[in-house]
Amino acid sequence: MTAAPVTAVAPDRPVAPTETLRSGPSYWLAGFRTMVRWHLASMRMWLMLLALVQVLLGVGYVLGVALFFDEVPPIMAAYVSTGAPVFNLVLLGLLLGPQLVADMKTSGGYDYLQSLPVPTTAAAAAWYVVTLVGGVPPMLVTLLAARLRYPDLELAISPAVVPAVLLVVFAGTMLGYALAYAITDPRVIQLVTQVLAFGLVGFSPVVFPAQQMPAWLVSVNEWLPLTHMATIVRDALTDGLVTADVGRAYLVVSVWALAAGAAAVRELRRRR
Amino acid sequence: MTASTSPVTTATAVTPVPVVSTGRVAAWWRAFAGTARFEWAGTRSYAPLVVVVQMMMGVGMAIMYGFFYPEIDTTTATLIATGVPTLALVPMGFVLVPAAVATQRLAGTFDVIWSFPVPRSATVAASFAVNAALALPGTVLALLVGVWRYGVTLHLSPVLVPAVLLSVLMCVAVGYGLALAVGNPLVINLVSNGTVFLVLLFTPIVYPASNLPGWLATVHDVLPFAPMAQVIRAGLTEGLVPDVGGAFLVLGLWTAAGLAATARVVGRRG
Repeated sequence: MTAAPVTAVAPDRPVAPTETLRSGPSYWLAGFRTMVRWHLASMRMWLMLLALVQVLLGVGYVLGVALFFDEVPPIMAAYVSTGAPVFNLVLLGLLLGPQLVADMKTSGGYDYLQSLPVPTTAAAAAWYVVTLVGGVPPMLVTLLAARLRYPDLELAISPAVVPAVLLVVFAGTMLGYALAYAITDPRVIQLVTQVLAFGLVGFSPVVFPAQQMPAWLVSVNEWLPLTHMATIVRDALTDGLVTADVGRAYLVVSVWALAAGAAAVRELRRRR
Repeated sequence: MTASTSPVTTATAVTPVPVVSTGRVAAWWRAFAGTARFEWAGTRSYAPLVVVVQMMMGVGMAIMYGFFYPEIDTTTATLIATGVPTLALVPMGFVLVPAAVATQRLAGTFDVIWSFPVPRSATVAASFAVNAALALPGTVLALLVGVWRYGVTLHLSPVLVPAVLLSVLMCVAVGYGLALAVGNPLVINLVSNGTVFLVLLFTPIVYPASNLPGWLATVHDVLPFAPMAQVIRAGLTEGLVPDVGGAFLVLGLWTAAGLAATARVVGRRG
Protein backbone atom coordinates (compact mmCIF):
# COMPACT_ATOMS: atom_id res chain seq x y z
CA MET A 1 0.00 0.00 0.00
CA THR A 2 2.74 2.43 1.00
CA ALA A 3 4.77 1.53 -2.08
CA ALA A 4 1.99 2.61 -4.41
CA PRO A 5 3.18 6.19 -5.07
CA VAL A 6 6.55 4.88 -6.31
CA THR A 7 5.10 2.45 -8.84
CA ALA A 8 2.66 5.11 -9.95
CA VAL A 9 5.27 6.67 -12.27
CA ALA A 10 3.71 6.65 -15.72
CA PRO A 11 4.84 3.42 -17.45
CA ASP A 12 4.47 4.94 -20.91
CA ARG A 13 7.26 7.53 -20.25
CA PRO A 14 10.63 5.73 -20.15
CA VAL A 15 13.03 6.96 -17.48
CA ALA A 16 16.19 5.46 -19.01
CA PRO A 17 18.39 7.76 -21.16
CA THR A 18 18.20 7.51 -24.91
CA GLU A 19 20.28 4.74 -26.44
CA THR A 20 21.08 6.56 -29.67
CA LEU A 21 24.49 8.24 -29.72
CA ARG A 22 24.14 12.00 -30.00
CA SER A 23 26.37 13.52 -32.66
CA GLY A 24 26.39 15.94 -35.59
CA PRO A 25 27.15 19.63 -36.02
CA SER A 26 24.26 20.90 -33.88
CA TYR A 27 25.31 18.67 -30.98
CA TRP A 28 28.92 19.83 -31.37
CA LEU A 29 27.82 23.46 -31.48
CA ALA A 30 25.66 23.06 -28.41
CA GLY A 31 28.61 21.57 -26.54
CA PHE A 32 30.88 24.37 -27.75
CA ARG A 33 28.42 27.06 -26.63
CA THR A 34 27.95 25.47 -23.25
CA MET A 35 31.68 25.16 -22.67
CA VAL A 36 32.34 28.78 -23.66
CA ARG A 37 29.69 29.83 -21.16
CA TRP A 38 31.16 27.46 -18.58
CA HIS A 39 34.65 28.93 -18.94
CA LEU A 40 33.46 32.53 -18.98
CA ALA A 41 31.31 31.89 -15.93
CA SER A 42 34.14 30.28 -13.99
CA MET A 43 36.56 33.01 -15.09
CA ARG A 44 34.23 35.69 -13.77
CA MET A 45 35.64 35.06 -10.29
CA TRP A 46 39.17 35.97 -11.23
CA LEU A 47 38.60 38.12 -14.29
CA MET A 48 39.80 41.26 -12.50
CA LEU A 49 42.89 39.40 -11.37
CA LEU A 50 43.59 38.20 -14.90
CA ALA A 51 43.16 41.72 -16.29
CA LEU A 52 45.52 43.05 -13.63
CA VAL A 53 48.18 40.43 -14.34
CA GLN A 54 47.90 40.97 -18.08
CA VAL A 55 48.31 44.73 -17.79
CA LEU A 56 51.15 44.35 -15.29
CA LEU A 57 52.89 41.96 -17.65
CA GLY A 58 52.47 43.88 -20.90
CA VAL A 59 52.68 47.45 -19.71
CA GLY A 60 55.25 46.42 -17.08
CA TYR A 61 57.59 45.15 -19.76
CA VAL A 62 57.10 48.16 -22.01
CA LEU A 63 57.92 50.55 -19.16
CA GLY A 64 60.38 48.38 -17.25
CA VAL A 65 62.86 47.55 -19.98
CA ALA A 66 63.29 51.28 -20.61
CA LEU A 67 64.75 51.60 -17.10
CA PHE A 68 67.62 49.28 -18.03
CA PHE A 69 69.08 52.06 -20.14
CA ASP A 70 70.23 55.58 -19.65
CA GLU A 71 68.85 56.24 -23.11
CA VAL A 72 66.67 53.56 -24.69
CA PRO A 73 68.10 52.35 -28.03
CA PRO A 74 65.37 52.53 -30.74
CA ILE A 75 65.84 48.85 -31.58
CA MET A 76 65.08 47.85 -27.96
CA ALA A 77 62.01 50.10 -27.93
CA ALA A 78 60.75 48.42 -31.09
CA TYR A 79 61.48 44.90 -29.83
CA VAL A 80 59.93 45.28 -26.40
CA SER A 81 56.86 47.02 -27.83
CA THR A 82 56.22 44.20 -30.28
CA GLY A 83 57.38 41.39 -27.98
CA ALA A 84 55.38 42.18 -24.86
CA PRO A 85 52.06 41.70 -26.76
CA VAL A 86 53.18 38.11 -27.45
CA PHE A 87 53.31 37.53 -23.68
CA ASN A 88 49.75 38.84 -23.44
CA LEU A 89 48.60 36.46 -26.16
CA VAL A 90 50.07 33.28 -24.69
CA LEU A 91 49.70 34.00 -20.95
CA LEU A 92 46.24 32.53 -20.48
CA GLY A 93 46.51 29.55 -22.82
CA LEU A 94 50.10 28.51 -22.27
CA LEU A 95 50.87 29.44 -18.67
CA LEU A 96 47.68 29.95 -16.66
CA GLY A 97 45.59 27.29 -18.41
CA PRO A 98 47.76 24.34 -17.34
CA GLN A 99 47.86 25.67 -13.78
CA LEU A 100 44.06 25.87 -13.71
CA VAL A 101 43.88 22.26 -14.88
CA ALA A 102 46.46 21.30 -12.24
CA ASP A 103 44.29 22.97 -9.58
CA MET A 104 41.24 21.11 -10.88
CA LYS A 105 43.13 17.82 -10.75
CA THR A 106 43.97 18.45 -7.10
CA SER A 107 40.47 19.55 -6.16
CA GLY A 108 38.62 16.83 -8.11
CA GLY A 109 36.83 19.19 -10.49
CA TYR A 110 38.80 17.67 -13.36
CA ASP A 111 36.98 14.34 -13.30
CA TYR A 112 33.66 16.14 -13.25
CA LEU A 113 34.55 18.25 -16.26
CA GLN A 114 35.79 15.14 -18.08
CA SER A 115 32.47 13.40 -17.48
CA LEU A 116 30.45 16.09 -19.24
CA PRO A 117 28.88 14.88 -22.51
CA VAL A 118 30.78 17.39 -24.68
CA PRO A 119 32.84 16.41 -27.74
CA THR A 120 36.58 16.83 -27.01
CA THR A 121 37.14 19.10 -29.99
CA ALA A 122 34.20 21.29 -28.94
CA ALA A 123 35.70 21.66 -25.46
CA ALA A 124 39.11 22.51 -26.94
CA ALA A 125 37.60 25.03 -29.38
CA ALA A 126 35.66 26.66 -26.55
CA TRP A 127 38.82 27.07 -24.47
CA TYR A 128 40.59 28.54 -27.52
CA VAL A 129 37.88 31.18 -27.93
CA VAL A 130 38.14 32.04 -24.25
CA THR A 131 41.93 32.44 -24.45
CA LEU A 132 41.42 34.77 -27.42
CA VAL A 133 39.00 36.85 -25.37
CA GLY A 134 41.51 36.93 -22.52
CA GLY A 135 44.49 37.77 -24.71
CA VAL A 136 43.54 40.25 -27.40
CA PRO A 137 42.29 43.21 -25.30
CA PRO A 138 45.44 43.23 -23.10
CA MET A 139 47.55 43.11 -26.25
CA LEU A 140 45.85 46.30 -27.45
CA VAL A 141 46.47 47.96 -24.07
CA THR A 142 50.15 47.01 -24.25
CA LEU A 143 50.45 48.42 -27.77
CA LEU A 144 48.79 51.64 -26.63
CA ALA A 145 51.20 51.91 -23.71
CA ALA A 146 54.12 51.31 -26.07
CA ARG A 147 52.84 54.03 -28.38
CA LEU A 148 52.66 56.50 -25.49
CA ARG A 149 55.99 55.54 -23.94
CA TYR A 150 57.99 55.54 -27.17
CA PRO A 151 56.57 58.32 -29.37
CA ASP A 152 59.24 57.67 -32.04
CA LEU A 153 58.20 54.04 -32.39
CA GLU A 154 56.97 53.28 -35.89
CA LEU A 155 54.21 50.71 -35.88
CA ALA A 156 52.82 49.58 -39.25
CA ILE A 157 49.94 47.27 -38.52
CA SER A 158 49.14 45.10 -41.54
CA PRO A 159 46.11 42.83 -42.15
CA ALA A 160 48.42 39.91 -41.38
CA VAL A 161 47.85 40.76 -37.72
CA VAL A 162 44.55 38.80 -37.83
CA PRO A 163 45.99 35.40 -38.85
CA ALA A 164 49.10 36.13 -36.75
CA VAL A 165 47.10 36.66 -33.56
CA LEU A 166 44.76 33.75 -34.29
CA LEU A 167 47.65 31.37 -34.92
CA VAL A 168 49.82 32.51 -31.99
CA VAL A 169 46.95 32.20 -29.52
CA PHE A 170 45.99 28.84 -31.02
CA ALA A 171 49.53 27.49 -30.75
CA GLY A 172 49.95 28.78 -27.19
CA THR A 173 46.61 27.32 -26.13
CA MET A 174 47.27 23.95 -27.72
CA LEU A 175 50.73 23.72 -26.15
CA GLY A 176 49.19 24.54 -22.78
CA TYR A 177 46.46 21.97 -23.42
CA ALA A 178 49.03 19.30 -24.21
CA LEU A 179 50.99 20.16 -21.06
CA ALA A 180 47.91 20.13 -18.89
CA TYR A 181 46.42 16.90 -20.15
CA ALA A 182 49.44 14.85 -21.17
CA ILE A 183 51.16 15.33 -17.78
CA THR A 184 49.18 13.60 -15.08
CA ASP A 185 50.91 14.89 -11.94
CA PRO A 186 49.63 18.42 -11.09
CA ARG A 187 52.89 19.34 -9.33
CA VAL A 188 54.90 18.50 -12.45
CA ILE A 189 52.52 20.68 -14.48
CA GLN A 190 53.16 23.59 -12.12
CA LEU A 191 56.90 23.12 -12.34
CA VAL A 192 56.97 22.80 -16.12
CA THR A 193 54.84 25.90 -16.67
CA GLN A 194 57.06 27.91 -14.35
CA VAL A 195 60.22 26.79 -16.12
CA LEU A 196 58.47 27.55 -19.40
CA ALA A 197 57.55 31.06 -18.25
CA PHE A 198 61.15 31.67 -17.23
CA GLY A 199 62.48 30.39 -20.54
CA LEU A 200 59.91 32.38 -22.47
CA VAL A 201 60.80 35.62 -20.76
CA GLY A 202 64.55 35.19 -20.48
CA PHE A 203 65.86 32.78 -23.07
CA SER A 204 63.79 33.33 -26.19
CA PRO A 205 64.42 36.42 -28.29
CA VAL A 206 60.90 37.79 -27.78
CA VAL A 207 61.53 41.19 -26.17
CA PHE A 208 65.09 41.57 -27.46
CA PRO A 209 66.80 40.93 -30.81
CA ALA A 210 68.27 37.47 -31.41
CA GLN A 211 71.66 39.04 -32.21
CA GLN A 212 72.08 39.80 -28.50
CA MET A 213 72.09 36.09 -27.65
CA PRO A 214 74.84 33.51 -28.18
CA ALA A 215 74.57 31.85 -31.58
CA TRP A 216 73.96 28.36 -30.21
CA LEU A 217 70.96 29.57 -28.18
CA VAL A 218 69.56 31.17 -31.32
CA SER A 219 69.88 27.85 -33.17
CA VAL A 220 68.09 26.03 -30.34
CA ASN A 221 65.28 28.57 -30.51
CA GLU A 222 64.98 28.02 -34.27
CA TRP A 223 63.23 24.73 -33.48
CA LEU A 224 61.10 25.98 -30.60
CA PRO A 225 57.84 27.82 -31.14
CA LEU A 226 58.33 30.96 -29.02
CA THR A 227 60.81 32.83 -31.23
CA HIS A 228 58.65 32.21 -34.25
CA MET A 229 55.51 33.38 -32.46
CA ALA A 230 57.33 36.65 -31.80
CA THR A 231 58.48 36.84 -35.43
CA ILE A 232 54.93 36.37 -36.70
CA VAL A 233 53.45 39.03 -34.45
CA ARG A 234 56.34 41.46 -34.97
CA ASP A 235 56.09 41.10 -38.73
CA ALA A 236 52.39 41.96 -38.62
CA LEU A 237 52.96 45.01 -36.40
CA THR A 238 55.99 46.62 -38.03
CA ASP A 239 57.52 47.25 -41.42
CA GLY A 240 61.10 46.24 -42.15
CA LEU A 241 62.04 45.26 -38.59
CA VAL A 242 61.82 41.50 -39.09
CA THR A 243 64.65 39.98 -41.07
CA ALA A 244 63.85 36.34 -40.25
CA ASP A 245 61.98 34.05 -42.63
CA VAL A 246 58.32 34.72 -41.77
CA GLY A 247 56.98 31.84 -43.87
CA ARG A 248 59.15 29.39 -41.95
CA ALA A 249 57.94 30.94 -38.69
CA TYR A 250 54.31 30.31 -39.66
CA LEU A 251 55.21 26.74 -40.60
CA VAL A 252 57.07 25.94 -37.36
CA VAL A 253 54.33 27.43 -35.16
CA SER A 254 51.61 25.57 -37.10
CA VAL A 255 53.43 22.25 -36.77
CA TRP A 256 53.85 22.73 -33.02
CA ALA A 257 50.21 23.75 -32.64
CA LEU A 258 48.88 20.76 -34.54
CA ALA A 259 51.19 18.29 -32.84
CA ALA A 260 50.31 19.62 -29.38
CA GLY A 261 46.59 19.75 -30.18
CA ALA A 262 46.63 16.16 -31.47
CA ALA A 263 48.49 14.97 -28.38
CA ALA A 264 46.03 16.70 -26.06
CA VAL A 265 42.91 15.45 -27.86
CA ARG A 266 44.28 11.91 -27.96
CA GLU A 267 44.95 12.02 -24.24
CA LEU A 268 41.50 13.45 -23.52
CA ARG A 269 39.75 10.72 -25.52
CA ARG A 270 41.57 7.93 -23.70
CA ARG A 271 39.36 6.15 -21.22
CA ARG A 272 40.72 5.68 -17.75
CA MET B 1 54.20 0.08 55.95
CA THR B 2 56.84 1.74 53.88
CA ALA B 3 56.01 -0.54 50.96
CA SER B 4 52.42 0.73 50.75
CA THR B 5 53.30 4.45 50.77
CA SER B 6 56.33 4.33 48.48
CA PRO B 7 54.43 4.41 45.13
CA VAL B 8 52.70 7.65 46.15
CA THR B 9 55.88 9.37 47.25
CA THR B 10 57.80 8.41 44.08
CA ALA B 11 54.94 9.76 41.95
CA THR B 12 55.04 13.16 43.62
CA ALA B 13 58.82 13.24 43.48
CA VAL B 14 58.87 13.19 39.63
CA THR B 15 59.79 16.58 38.22
CA PRO B 16 57.20 17.29 35.53
CA VAL B 17 59.25 19.65 33.28
CA PRO B 18 62.97 18.98 33.54
CA VAL B 19 63.82 21.62 30.89
CA VAL B 20 63.06 24.44 33.33
CA SER B 21 66.09 23.56 35.42
CA THR B 22 68.61 24.43 32.66
CA GLY B 23 69.76 27.96 31.89
CA ARG B 24 67.68 30.14 29.60
CA VAL B 25 70.31 30.34 26.87
CA ALA B 26 70.83 26.61 26.82
CA ALA B 27 67.08 26.05 26.73
CA TRP B 28 66.71 28.46 23.84
CA TRP B 29 69.43 26.68 21.91
CA ARG B 30 67.85 23.33 22.58
CA ALA B 31 64.50 24.67 21.38
CA PHE B 32 66.19 26.16 18.32
CA ALA B 33 67.89 22.87 17.46
CA GLY B 34 64.65 20.96 17.95
CA THR B 35 62.51 23.26 15.80
CA ALA B 36 65.24 23.45 13.16
CA ARG B 37 65.22 19.68 12.97
CA PHE B 38 61.42 19.69 12.75
CA GLU B 39 61.49 22.35 10.03
CA TRP B 40 64.16 20.47 8.12
CA ALA B 41 62.23 17.21 8.38
CA GLY B 42 59.23 18.91 6.80
CA THR B 43 61.34 20.50 4.07
CA ARG B 44 63.67 17.60 3.32
CA SER B 45 61.47 15.87 0.77
CA TYR B 46 61.41 18.85 -1.58
CA ALA B 47 64.62 20.60 -0.47
CA PRO B 48 66.70 19.31 -3.43
CA LEU B 49 64.07 20.63 -5.82
CA VAL B 50 64.08 24.04 -4.11
CA VAL B 51 67.87 24.23 -4.24
CA VAL B 52 67.93 23.25 -7.91
CA VAL B 53 65.19 25.75 -8.81
CA GLN B 54 67.02 28.47 -6.88
CA MET B 55 70.23 27.66 -8.73
CA MET B 56 68.51 27.62 -12.11
CA MET B 57 66.77 30.91 -11.43
CA GLY B 58 69.93 32.56 -10.12
CA VAL B 59 72.09 31.37 -13.00
CA GLY B 60 69.29 32.13 -15.45
CA MET B 61 69.01 35.70 -14.23
CA ALA B 62 72.77 36.16 -14.30
CA ILE B 63 72.75 35.26 -17.98
CA MET B 64 69.47 36.70 -19.21
CA TYR B 65 70.01 40.28 -18.05
CA GLY B 66 72.90 40.42 -20.49
CA PHE B 67 70.56 39.70 -23.40
CA PHE B 68 68.77 43.00 -22.93
CA TYR B 69 71.81 45.09 -23.74
CA PRO B 70 73.05 45.57 -27.33
CA GLU B 71 76.56 45.90 -25.89
CA ILE B 72 77.77 45.33 -22.35
CA ASP B 73 80.37 47.75 -21.02
CA THR B 74 82.37 47.29 -17.81
CA THR B 75 79.94 49.26 -15.62
CA THR B 76 76.91 47.31 -16.86
CA ALA B 77 78.79 44.04 -16.42
CA THR B 78 79.78 44.87 -12.83
CA LEU B 79 76.25 45.98 -11.97
CA ILE B 80 74.71 42.79 -13.37
CA ALA B 81 77.23 40.43 -11.76
CA THR B 82 76.96 42.05 -8.32
CA GLY B 83 73.20 42.64 -8.53
CA VAL B 84 72.16 39.10 -9.40
CA PRO B 85 72.91 37.64 -5.92
CA THR B 86 70.38 40.11 -4.51
CA LEU B 87 67.85 39.10 -7.14
CA ALA B 88 68.43 35.44 -6.27
CA LEU B 89 67.66 36.09 -2.60
CA VAL B 90 64.42 37.99 -3.15
CA PRO B 91 62.33 35.02 -4.41
CA MET B 92 63.39 33.02 -1.35
CA GLY B 93 61.89 35.55 1.05
CA PHE B 94 58.97 36.70 -1.02
CA VAL B 95 57.88 33.46 -2.70
CA LEU B 96 59.24 30.42 -0.85
CA VAL B 97 58.62 31.55 2.71
CA PRO B 98 55.06 32.86 2.15
CA ALA B 99 54.21 29.76 0.10
CA ALA B 100 55.52 27.50 2.87
CA VAL B 101 53.48 29.38 5.47
CA ALA B 102 50.36 29.20 3.28
CA THR B 103 50.84 25.44 2.84
CA GLN B 104 51.30 24.99 6.59
CA ARG B 105 48.09 26.90 7.21
CA LEU B 106 46.13 24.79 4.74
CA ALA B 107 47.54 21.56 6.15
CA GLY B 108 47.04 22.59 9.76
CA THR B 109 50.75 22.19 10.57
CA PHE B 110 50.87 25.88 11.34
CA ASP B 111 48.87 25.58 14.57
CA VAL B 112 50.94 22.58 15.63
CA ILE B 113 54.22 24.43 15.17
CA TRP B 114 53.15 27.42 17.23
CA SER B 115 51.74 25.19 19.97
CA PHE B 116 55.17 23.69 20.71
CA PRO B 117 56.48 24.54 24.17
CA VAL B 118 59.43 26.52 22.79
CA PRO B 119 60.20 30.22 22.67
CA ARG B 120 58.61 31.67 19.56
CA SER B 121 61.83 33.45 18.69
CA ALA B 122 63.44 30.00 18.46
CA THR B 123 60.81 28.90 15.93
CA VAL B 124 61.38 31.99 13.78
CA ALA B 125 65.17 31.61 14.03
CA ALA B 126 64.97 27.95 13.02
CA SER B 127 62.85 28.82 10.01
CA PHE B 128 65.37 31.54 9.13
CA ALA B 129 68.27 29.10 9.31
CA VAL B 130 66.62 26.44 7.16
CA ASN B 131 65.46 28.90 4.50
CA ALA B 132 68.85 30.60 4.39
CA ALA B 133 70.53 27.22 3.90
CA LEU B 134 68.19 26.54 0.98
CA ALA B 135 68.75 29.93 -0.66
CA LEU B 136 72.48 30.43 -0.32
CA PRO B 137 73.79 27.79 -2.80
CA GLY B 138 71.78 29.36 -5.62
CA THR B 139 72.93 32.83 -4.64
CA VAL B 140 76.60 31.88 -4.61
CA LEU B 141 76.32 30.03 -7.91
CA ALA B 142 74.54 33.00 -9.50
CA LEU B 143 77.42 35.24 -8.41
CA LEU B 144 80.05 32.85 -9.77
CA VAL B 145 78.30 32.46 -13.12
CA GLY B 146 77.87 36.25 -13.41
CA VAL B 147 81.56 36.79 -12.67
CA TRP B 148 82.53 34.18 -15.26
CA ARG B 149 80.10 35.33 -17.94
CA TYR B 150 80.96 39.03 -17.76
CA GLY B 151 84.63 38.75 -16.74
CA VAL B 152 84.20 40.92 -13.65
CA THR B 153 86.86 41.20 -10.94
CA LEU B 154 85.45 41.22 -7.41
CA HIS B 155 86.96 42.81 -4.28
CA LEU B 156 85.47 40.96 -1.34
CA SER B 157 85.29 42.89 1.92
CA PRO B 158 84.16 41.94 5.45
CA VAL B 159 80.99 44.01 4.94
CA LEU B 160 79.71 41.08 2.87
CA VAL B 161 79.02 38.91 5.93
CA PRO B 162 76.65 41.27 7.79
CA ALA B 163 75.22 42.40 4.45
CA VAL B 164 74.18 38.90 3.40
CA LEU B 165 73.00 37.89 6.87
CA LEU B 166 70.87 41.00 7.32
CA SER B 167 69.50 40.69 3.78
CA VAL B 168 68.46 37.08 4.32
CA LEU B 169 66.99 37.91 7.71
CA MET B 170 65.07 40.83 6.22
CA CYS B 171 63.68 38.64 3.41
CA VAL B 172 62.56 35.88 5.77
CA ALA B 173 61.12 38.32 8.32
CA VAL B 174 59.17 40.32 5.75
CA GLY B 175 58.06 37.13 3.97
CA TYR B 176 56.81 35.72 7.27
CA GLY B 177 55.14 38.98 8.24
CA LEU B 178 53.50 39.20 4.82
CA ALA B 179 52.21 35.63 4.92
CA LEU B 180 50.88 35.97 8.46
CA ALA B 181 49.38 39.42 8.05
CA VAL B 182 47.59 38.62 4.77
CA GLY B 183 46.32 35.13 5.53
CA ASN B 184 44.49 34.31 2.30
CA PRO B 185 46.79 31.96 0.28
CA LEU B 186 45.54 33.27 -3.08
CA VAL B 187 46.32 36.86 -2.16
CA ILE B 188 49.72 35.83 -0.78
CA ASN B 189 50.50 34.10 -4.07
CA LEU B 190 49.46 37.18 -6.01
CA VAL B 191 51.42 39.59 -3.83
CA SER B 192 54.59 37.50 -3.86
CA ASN B 193 54.59 36.96 -7.62
CA GLY B 194 53.73 40.59 -8.28
CA THR B 195 56.56 41.65 -5.97
CA VAL B 196 59.10 39.48 -7.75
CA PHE B 197 58.01 40.75 -11.16
CA LEU B 198 58.23 44.38 -10.04
CA VAL B 199 61.59 43.79 -8.37
CA LEU B 200 63.04 42.16 -11.49
CA LEU B 201 62.07 45.07 -13.75
CA PHE B 202 61.52 48.22 -11.74
CA THR B 203 64.17 48.11 -9.03
CA PRO B 204 67.66 49.57 -9.46
CA ILE B 205 69.51 46.33 -8.68
CA VAL B 206 71.21 45.50 -11.99
CA TYR B 207 71.06 49.05 -13.33
CA PRO B 208 71.89 52.40 -11.70
CA ALA B 209 69.18 54.35 -9.86
CA SER B 210 69.93 57.31 -12.13
CA ASN B 211 67.97 55.54 -14.90
CA LEU B 212 64.79 55.93 -12.87
CA PRO B 213 62.49 58.94 -12.78
CA GLY B 214 63.12 60.97 -9.60
CA TRP B 215 59.98 59.88 -7.73
CA LEU B 216 60.65 56.19 -8.32
CA ALA B 217 64.24 56.56 -7.12
CA THR B 218 62.88 58.13 -3.92
CA VAL B 219 60.44 55.25 -3.45
CA HIS B 220 63.36 52.83 -3.73
CA ASP B 221 65.28 54.66 -1.01
CA VAL B 222 62.54 53.51 1.36
CA LEU B 223 61.76 50.03 -0.02
CA PRO B 224 64.18 47.30 1.07
CA PHE B 225 65.29 45.98 -2.34
CA ALA B 226 67.67 48.70 -3.55
CA PRO B 227 69.37 49.00 -0.11
CA MET B 228 69.81 45.23 -0.14
CA ALA B 229 71.58 45.47 -3.49
CA GLN B 230 73.73 48.32 -2.15
CA VAL B 231 75.01 46.51 0.93
CA ILE B 232 75.71 43.28 -0.97
CA ARG B 233 77.44 45.20 -3.76
CA ALA B 234 79.50 47.06 -1.15
CA GLY B 235 80.76 43.69 0.08
CA LEU B 236 81.71 42.57 -3.43
CA THR B 237 83.29 45.69 -4.93
CA GLU B 238 85.52 48.56 -3.97
CA GLY B 239 84.61 52.21 -4.38
CA LEU B 240 81.34 51.55 -6.21
CA VAL B 241 79.02 52.09 -3.25
CA PRO B 242 79.97 55.22 -1.29
CA ASP B 243 77.87 54.87 1.85
CA VAL B 244 76.09 51.83 3.24
CA GLY B 245 75.00 53.23 6.63
CA GLY B 246 71.61 54.40 5.36
CA ALA B 247 71.05 51.17 3.47
CA PHE B 248 71.79 49.07 6.58
CA LEU B 249 69.38 51.26 8.55
CA VAL B 250 66.56 50.77 6.03
CA LEU B 251 67.16 47.00 6.01
CA GLY B 252 67.18 46.94 9.81
CA LEU B 253 63.88 48.81 9.97
CA TRP B 254 62.23 46.44 7.50
CA THR B 255 63.52 43.44 9.44
CA ALA B 256 62.11 44.90 12.64
CA ALA B 257 58.79 45.61 10.94
CA GLY B 258 58.60 42.06 9.57
CA LEU B 259 59.44 40.54 12.95
CA ALA B 260 56.93 42.82 14.67
CA ALA B 261 54.18 41.77 12.27
CA THR B 262 55.10 38.13 12.86
CA ALA B 263 55.17 38.60 16.63
CA ARG B 264 51.80 40.33 16.60
CA VAL B 265 50.13 37.45 14.75
CA VAL B 266 51.78 34.52 16.49
CA GLY B 267 51.52 36.18 19.88
CA ARG B 268 47.76 36.41 19.54
CA ARG B 269 45.87 33.55 21.11
CA GLY B 270 43.38 32.05 18.66
